Amino acid sequence: MEKTLLTVSGLAKSFGRDEAAVSVLANLTFDLPAGGSLALMGRSGSGKSTLLNMLCGLEPPDAGELTLFGQDHRHADWQRLRRGRIGVVFQEANLMPTLSLLDNVRLRASLAGQPEAHCQHWLDVLDIGDLAHRFPDQVSGGQRQRAALAMVFAMSPDLILADEPTGSLDRVTADEVADSLFRLQADTGCALILATHDAELASRCQSTLDLAHRTTAQDAAVSKP
Amino acid sequence: MTPFSALLSHYRRHPWQGVALATLMLLATALWTGIHHLTSQARASLSQSEQVVEARYQIQRVDGAALSVDDFVALRRQGLCLMPWLEVLPEDESRRVIGVDPLAALCFQGQGDVASFDGQPLRGDPFMDIADAAALPARQAQLFLIVDPDSGALSDDYRITDFSLAPDTGQLGDSFLLNLDALSVLVLLITGLLLRSVYLLSLSQRRDSFALLNRFGVPVRRVRGYLVVELLCLAAVTLIPGILLGQILANALAGGFASVMEGLFDSRQLATAANTWLVPSVVMMTLLLLVCAADWLIPDKLRQSAIVGHRSGGLAGMLLVVGAGGLWLASDLLTLFVAVALVLAGAGLLMPWCLSALSSRLARGCKRPLMRRWWAEYGVLCRRLALPLVALQLSLAMVLAVQALVTTFEATFDRWLEQRLSADYYLEVPTGAEGRTAAHWLAQNLPASSGALWHRVLRGQAQVQLGDEWQAVDVFALAPVGALVTDWELFENVEQPWRKLAAGEGVLVNEQLAYREQLGAGDSLPLKLAGQIISMPILGVYPDYGRPAGEVLMAGDHLPDGFAVSFESFSISPGSIGIEAITGALSELWQEPSLTVRDNLSIRDLANRVFDQTFALTRAMTLLTLALAAVALLLMGWVFLATRLWYFRLLEVWGMARPAIFLRLLSLALMVSLSAAILALPVGIGLTWVLVQRINPLAFGWSLPMDLYPGFWLELLALALVIGVCIGLLMHRQLGRPAVRPSVTGTVTGEER
Amino acid sequence: MRIRAGMALAVWLLAGCSGPDEEVGFAGLADNAQSTDGFEQPAPGDALTFPQDFGPHPAHRIEWWYLTANLETEAGDPLGLQWTQFRQALESRAQDAPAPEASTWPLQAAWMAHAAVSHQGQHWFQERLARGDLGQAGAIAEPFQVWLDDWQMTAGDQPDQWHLTVRQGQSGQQGYWAFDLDLSIQGPPVAHGDNGFSAKSASGEGSMYFSLVGIDVTGTVTLADEDLNVQGKAWFDREWSSQFLKAGQQGWDWFALHLDSGDKLMAFRLREESGHFRSGTWISQSGAVVALAPDQLQLEPIAGSGPVPTRWRLQVPEQDVDIELKAPEGDYINDGLFPYWESPVSISGSHSGVGYMELTGYDN
Repeated sequence: MEKTLLTVSGLAKSFGRDEAAVSVLANLTFDLPAGGSLALMGRSGSGKSTLLNMLCGLEPPDAGELTLFGQDHRHADWQRLRRGRIGVVFQEANLMPTLSLLDNVRLRASLAGQPEAHCQHWLDVLDIGDLAHRFPDQVSGGQRQRAALAMVFAMSPDLILADEPTGSLDRVTADEVADSLFRLQADTGCALILATHDAELASRCQSTLDLAHRTTAQDAAVSKP
Repeated sequence: MTPFSALLSHYRRHPWQGVALATLMLLATALWTGIHHLTSQARASLSQSEQVVEARYQIQRVDGAALSVDDFVALRRQGLCLMPWLEVLPEDESRRVIGVDPLAALCFQGQGDVASFDGQPLRGDPFMDIADAAALPARQAQLFLIVDPDSGALSDDYRITDFSLAPDTGQLGDSFLLNLDALSVLVLLITGLLLRSVYLLSLSQRRDSFALLNRFGVPVRRVRGYLVVELLCLAAVTLIPGILLGQILANALAGGFASVMEGLFDSRQLATAANTWLVPSVVMMTLLLLVCAADWLIPDKLRQSAIVGHRSGGLAGMLLVVGAGGLWLASDLLTLFVAVALVLAGAGLLMPWCLSALSSRLARGCKRPLMRRWWAEYGVLCRRLALPLVALQLSLAMVLAVQALVTTFEATFDRWLEQRLSADYYLEVPTGAEGRTAAHWLAQNLPASSGALWHRVLRGQAQVQLGDEWQAVDVFALAPVGALVTDWELFENVEQPWRKLAAGEGVLVNEQLAYREQLGAGDSLPLKLAGQIISMPILGVYPDYGRPAGEVLMAGDHLPDGFAVSFESFSISPGSIGIEAITGALSELWQEPSLTVRDNLSIRDLANRVFDQTFALTRAMTLLTLALAAVALLLMGWVFLATRLWYFRLLEVWGMARPAIFLRLLSLALMVSLSAAILALPVGIGLTWVLVQRINPLAFGWSLPMDLYPGFWLELLALALVIGVCIGLLMHRQLGRPAVRPSVTGTVTGEER
Repeated sequence: MRIRAGMALAVWLLAGCSGPDEEVGFAGLADNAQSTDGFEQPAPGDALTFPQDFGPHPAHRIEWWYLTANLETEAGDPLGLQWTQFRQALESRAQDAPAPEASTWPLQAAWMAHAAVSHQGQHWFQERLARGDLGQAGAIAEPFQVWLDDWQMTAGDQPDQWHLTVRQGQSGQQGYWAFDLDLSIQGPPVAHGDNGFSAKSASGEGSMYFSLVGIDVTGTVTLADEDLNVQGKAWFDREWSSQFLKAGQQGWDWFALHLDSGDKLMAFRLREESGHFRSGTWISQSGAVVALAPDQLQLEPIAGSGPVPTRWRLQVPEQDVDIELKAPEGDYINDGLFPYWESPVSISGSHSGVGYMELTGYDN
C-alpha cells in the first residue's frame, strides 16, 4: 500500500464576488500517493494554475479539504513546505535574471536548507554544467527550463508542481526537458503534478485529471492507466 | 485603426502612465516657468531701479529744515532738473506709496512716455501721482527732491547728498541674482532628466508595439514621426497649463517678492514683468523635444554605450576631469559654467555606473546567494532608474548648495548689517560743525555706566605704496576704538588687533585691498597720509562684503594733524539715555537746528525682514524641485519595481515569508534613494564651492566665506530615507496583487539583469 | 493756431492721469473728452479785455502764449525762433477763484513749454512740462510774465518792453543752447475774427484770439558754443478756448507773415474730410485790420517733403496778394511728445517777406 501524499476532497474555488463570481473549480476530489505522478489536463482557463496555486498554499480554497503530507491546508506551514518540500516549475521565468544559473540553483538549495555543494552536480545531471556561470538571458529557453529543473531537484522535494514546464519550447527540446523531468522524478522518488494540455506529455504520468470535462461532471474522474 | 492610433492605444491601456507623463511635464513646466518668471522679474526690477534713480542724489536744505514744494519750485526756477518724491505711509495700509510727478521727471530721461513713470503705470504700486499721494491720510509723509547733479549749480542754501534710504546692498544683490540664474539653469537640467526618464519608461513599455509595427512594414522613420506628433500633442496639452500654473505660482509669491526686491535692491518698485509666454514655451518645447527625441540624432552605437554602457564610466571620468580642470582654471564665467555643466554631466553619468559597478563587486563578494541576489537587484534598480536617480541626486545637490549659499548669504548679510549698522543711530556731522567738540561732549556725558556706546567716524583719503606705485585708498578712522567694532569678525589678524589699532600701532585693511594686493596680517604697509609717509603694520583683514574700493581702517586719535576729513559722523548706541537728549545737546553745541540722524535699528529690522523673505522664497523653490524629483523617483520606482514583482513573488513561491520579502524590497528602495543622497553630498558641496568660491569671484572679484552645514546633510539623508520608505510602501500594496510574468523579450535580451 | 499741440497735451494728460492704457484717439477726444462740461466756451460777441487777457483763463480748457521770430544774425544769415507756452486744464476754475494750495501738488492744469531755433538747415528743439499752481509754471497779466522753470517771458519797466530767456543744458557743456532776447512791442493788439472771436469751423466753434504783430527783436542766440547777435521781427499770439477741433478735423496749417510792404497777414485752414475751413486777418501797414472770411482767401499746398507740404500758394484777391510760401531746406519737426512742423518761410510772388508756418496732423 502506497502512502498517500495528497488528499483533495470537495475542493472549490471561484473568483470575483457575488453575482459576478466565476466558479473555476467546484467539488474537486482526488488523491496522490507518494512518488506518484498526476497530469492536470484542460484548456486554458480551466483552473489548472489555480489548482496548483492552492496545492502550494499560494491561494486558499473556498471550500473543501486539502491534506498534504498529512497536514490540513488550514494549518499547514505552507512557507516551510514550499521552501523545502514542494518545488514549483513555471512555463518560464523561473530564474532570477540577476543571478547565474549556478547561483539560482544555490539560492534555491539554500532556501531549502540543502547543501549548496551539490548544486553543480544537478546542473551536470541536466547537461548544462558547462553553462553554470552564464546568466539566464545568455542561454536558450530549453537550457533555462533545465536550470529550473536543477533548482527544483537541488531542493530534494517531495512534490513537484509543474505548470506547463515545456509549454514554450519546441517539440524536440520539450521532449528532452520532459525526459529529464520524468527520469529524475523516478530517480528521486518524488511526486509530480503536471499541468499541461499536451496529451502525450500527460500520458507519461501515472494518472490524469481532466479539469475541462470535470466542470460538467459532479466530481473528478481520476483515471488510472 | 491606423498605426498612429495603434501607438496611442498604449495610453488607452495604461492611462495612468499617460497621466503621469503629462503631470510630470506639467509640473516641471510650472516649476521652471515659476523660477524663470521670478528671476526675470528680479532682474527687470534691478535694471529698472538702476535706470530710475540712476543718479541717486537728493537735495537737502543746509538749515536742516524739511523740504517743501517751495524748495522744489525755487530750484526748478533756477534751472535745475529735479523731481519730487513723496513717500507716504498711508494710515490704513502697511505699504508705503510714492508720489511722483511724471511731468517733472521728464527732464531726467528726455523724451519718454509720460503716461507712466519709467514704464511703470501710476497705479499706486507703489507709484502714484504726487497729488493723489499728498491727498492720502498719512501716518508719515516725507518729501524728497531727487536731482540730476549735472543740471546746474546749487545755491548755498542747499546741498546734494546720496539718495539712499535703505541700505545699498550693491553687489551682494547682483551676486545673489547671478546665483539664482545659475540655479534656474540647474532646475532646467533636472526638469529635462525627469521628463526624459518618464518618457523613456513609456517608450520601453511600447518597444514591442514598435517592433510589431516595424514587422508590419511601417518604416522606423514614420514611427518616429508619429512619436514626435504625439510629443507635440502632449506638449500642447501640458505646456500651456504648466506655464499658466508657473505664472500663478510666481505671481502668488511675487506679492512678497515685490517687497523683497524693493528692499533688496533699493529699487522701490517691481517691474510688473510682462507675463511672457514666449520664453518658457520655447524653452520647455525645445527641452521636451531634445530630451525625448535627441536619441535619434545620435548614432545607435554611441547611444547604446552612453548611459549604461561599460564605457560610460570612462566617459564620466573624462568629463569630470575636464570639468574639474575647467573649474580650477576658468578665467571667465562662460568657461566656468561650461565646466560646471561638464562636471554635473560627469557626475550624473558616473553615479549609475559607480553604483552598478559597486553592486556587482559586492554581489560577487557575497557568499550567500540571497545576498548576492539583493546586490544584483540593487544594481539593476540603479541602472534602470538612472535618470530619475540622477535627477534626485542633482536636486539634492542643488538643495544642499542653495542651503549653504543662502545660509552663507544670510550670515553675511547679518554680519554686513552688523558692521554697517553697528550702532543704533548714525549721526552726520553737519558741514562746518566741529566733530571734535561733539566727541568731547559725548566722552563727558555718556558714561560707561549708562550702557551707551559711541564712536566718531572720520573718512578721507590716503595713498598706499603697492609695488612701486602709490595708490589712493579710502581711510576709515574710528575714535575711540571700542565695543562697537571689536567684535567684528576678522579674516586674519595678529594678536590683540583692536588694542593695537587703538594704540595706533597699525592699521586694518579691507578684504578687497588684501585680496587684490595679496596683503596679510603682519605685512608692513607704507602709507602717505596728509603729506607724511609712514609705514604701518597690518593688524588684520576685515570683511568688506563686496565693497570694491580699497580701505584702510585706522585709529582716529592717531591721524596726523593735516589729515583732510571729507566726511564725519558719529555712531551712537545711546543706552539708557535717549537719542533725543543727545541730538538736542549736539544740535545746541553745533548751533545746528536740525541734524541728520539715521535710525539704524529700524533699517536693520527692515533689511532683515526683506532678506528673510528672499531666502525663504529661494529655499521654497529648490525644495519644490526636490519634491518633484522625489515624486518622479517614486513614480518611476513604482512602475519599474512592478515589472520586478514576478521575481519577488517567485521568492514567495520558493517559501519565503511575505514580510521578509517586503523587507528586502524596502531595504532595496531605501538603499537606492540613500545612495542618491550620499552621492549628492559631494556634488552639492562641489556646487556650493563653485558658486561661492569660483562664480562669485569671477563675476564680482570678491568671494563669500564658504561654510558647510552637516546638520542639513543629515536632514537630506533622512528625506531620502522617507522617499525610499514611500516607494517601499507603494510596493507593499503591489505585492498583494497578482504579478505579471515578465515578457519574454526582457528575459532574453538581458534587460532585466 | 496751436490746436494740435494743445489737444495732444490733453491726450497725454488724460492718458497719464486717468490710467495708462487708454489710447485716446484724436477724433474720439474731440467727441468726448473735449466736451465743454464745466468750462466756458468762447462765443461770437465775447470781447477782449486788456491787459487781463495777457494772463491765464482758468475757466477755459486750453490756451497758449506763442512767439515766432524771423531774425538775422550779424552775418546776415536768417534765423527762425519759436517759444510757446501751453496751458491745459483738467478742471475748470472760475477766473477769480483762488488757486489750490501748492502743498497739495494740485493737478488742475498742466503746462508745457516749447522752444526751437532754426538756423542754417538745423533745428534745435526742447520741451518742458510742469504742473500748474505750484509756481513752477504760470502766467501773470500785469506785470506781464509767463514762465516754466527758468524759461520766461517778462515785461520790463515799460509794459511794452519784454524780455525772453530760454536755456537748455549747462553753459559750456555739449548740447547747450539758449536765447536771450529783448522784445519791443510796436502797435496795439490785433483782434482776429469778430472782435477777437476766431471761428474754427463753419458750425461756429472757435477761440478767443489776438496777436501782437509787430515786435522788434534784438538779443543773443547761443548755438553750439557760439553767441550770435541777432535782430529782426517777431509775432506774438494769445489764444484760448475750451473746444477747438470738431470731430473729423484732421489738423491745420497756419501762417503768420511779415510782408516787406509793411503789411501783415495771418491765414489758416483746418482740414476736414469734406473741404477745409479757412480764415485769416489782413493788417495793413497803416494798422487797419480786415478779417478774411473763408471765401476771401485761397490756401493750397504746392509741394512737400515727405508727407509735409513745405511749399504753399496763398491768395487774397481783395488785397492783390498771390504769393508762394516756402520753408528752407531741412527738417523742422518739433519732435516732442506730440510732433508737429514749425518753420520759418520765405515769401515770393506778388509780395516778398518772411514769416512762420505751423503744420499739424501730417503724421510727421
